[in-house]
Amino acid sequence: MQLKGRPAVVRRGLIAASCALLGSSGARGQEAVTSGGGAETDGGQIDWLFDSALAYYHENGRVQAIEPVVNIRIDDGVGESINFNLTYDSLSGSSPNGALPSNKPQTFASPSGKSLSAAPHTYTSASGQTSVESAPIYTTSPGQLPVDPKYHDQRLAVGGSWQMPWSRLTRASIGGKVSYEHDFLSLAANASIAHDFNQKNTTLSLGINGEGDAVRPIGGAPLPASDYALFEKTGTKSKNGAGMLLGLTQVMNRRWLSELNLSVDRFTGYLNDPYKIISVIDTIGDTTGYLYEKRPDERTRKSVYLENRVAWSRASAALSLRYMTDDWQIHSDTAQFRVRWWTAGHDQYWEPTVRWYRQTAADFYTPWISSAATPTLLYASADARLGAFNALTYGLKYAFKLEDALDQPGSEFSVRLEYYQQTFFDKMPAPAALQGLDLYPGLRAILLQVGFSY
Amino acid sequence: MNRRRLRRLLIVGSALVASGCSSLGVKPWQRDILAREDMQLDSESLDNAIDDHLYFSKEASSGGRSFAGGGCGCN
Repeated sequence: MQLKGRPAVVRRGLIAASCALLGSSGARGQEAVTSGGGAETDGGQIDWLFDSALAYYHENGRVQAIEPVVNIRIDDGVGESINFNLTYDSLSGSSPNGALPSNKPQTFASPSGKSLSAAPHTYTSASGQTSVESAPIYTTSPGQLPVDPKYHDQRLAVGGSWQMPWSRLTRASIGGKVSYEHDFLSLAANASIAHDFNQKNTTLSLGINGEGDAVRPIGGAPLPASDYALFEKTGTKSKNGAGMLLGLTQVMNRRWLSELNLSVDRFTGYLNDPYKIISVIDTIGDTTGYLYEKRPDERTRKSVYLENRVAWSRASAALSLRYMTDDWQIHSDTAQFRVRWWTAGHDQYWEPTVRWYRQTAADFYTPWISSAATPTLLYASADARLGAFNALTYGLKYAFKLEDALDQPGSEFSVRLEYYQQTFFDKMPAPAALQGLDLYPGLRAILLQVGFSY
Repeated sequence: MNRRRLRRLLIVGSALVASGCSSLGVKPWQRDILAREDMQLDSESLDNAIDDHLYFSKEASSGGRSFAGGGCGCN
């Protein structure tokens, strides 16, 4: 199948590896499918692909986010391509600070460089006007989950990659990404190489990546396991990581494609969430204070990922399975199943998705700390993301092609809705004073996304 | 396991994979279905990127399909 189009017009068609959206995937075995007889662009012709989406994310009573994403791909038609992508996130709402609910009111300070006990300050501007700024304190009502009610953040991420042919059967890719938040900066780079075998039915790929992050929390990075009330903060911290991914892609038959990835990565440095604290409770469960969390300063993760795709005349299905483990003793299993049904005219499709996820808790995860145990505390975190939970995602996408209307092959408009829910297990028995409180509230969220490709 | 045994294991394993894979696959003129957009491993790249960012910020695991890093102060 050869896709025809005018010079310098967009042809989405069967372009592979547009996953460089994250600037991290690099050369993959997918080329084995398309280059052997699928769509190929005309040599010497520059093609552009514009892919965009706007996502709205909302959690029950917590954070909401708006995320526009743009991806642009420029393809020279002879195997060389450049990707550029831009992502912006705007988050606002209430974010859990890690502390437990209590039957008494609890008072906390938002991270702003002032301690919990800071008194209001009077400021005088250059024009002579004075203002009084109170300490950013918030109070959580009895029975409520402590959340910072004025959480807000913006993220801007820019990435790019360059894929080039190395030989007739080999191609290489390099990429990079910069992600900026007002309290976080990440720089990442990657390189990969892929080689085809067996009449381009088999592809082996190898990729490496490196990442350097600067953690610059508002008010400074807290000293791990320090007393929340003492305000021991030490400025900017860093963490660094490196990873490797080995991939095998195999065309099984005319309708079936399979991919197997093995990956390992290792991060070192300040791996704490600087805004998360842990409640310290006495024997009956009354809160006596709070500590900042303390995680190990290194983490190694390994994963196996298997994806299979099968197609019929008006449908296709994709099943992906992942097992991941790390030296924090977190083990996770993920299964995702997606089916796409085309209408008779092949100009619209429906795509339901279901995803199941389960993780065990990190060996240092604890929803609270007993005041008797604090002197011997080695590592501890009450961050629910390190707890044991199941998660389910249900999604539905509808898309219709705009090729005829816009005279651009591959043009598409889509709407996608997802529902995500976390349910915790392996719960610790609650002390008397915490009985009846929802210590594991879980999470429910929806995602609405509109997309446009051109 | 010494280095020689590991090398033998790798050679035998590679030979098994290579022989297994060589009996699979299609001829170049049989790629019409495989060439469809929905059969490309990255055809949902934008959806996956948005989902992965959500899961990255709410779960302890990430990556697998591609590299797990990429920057986000949320986890």
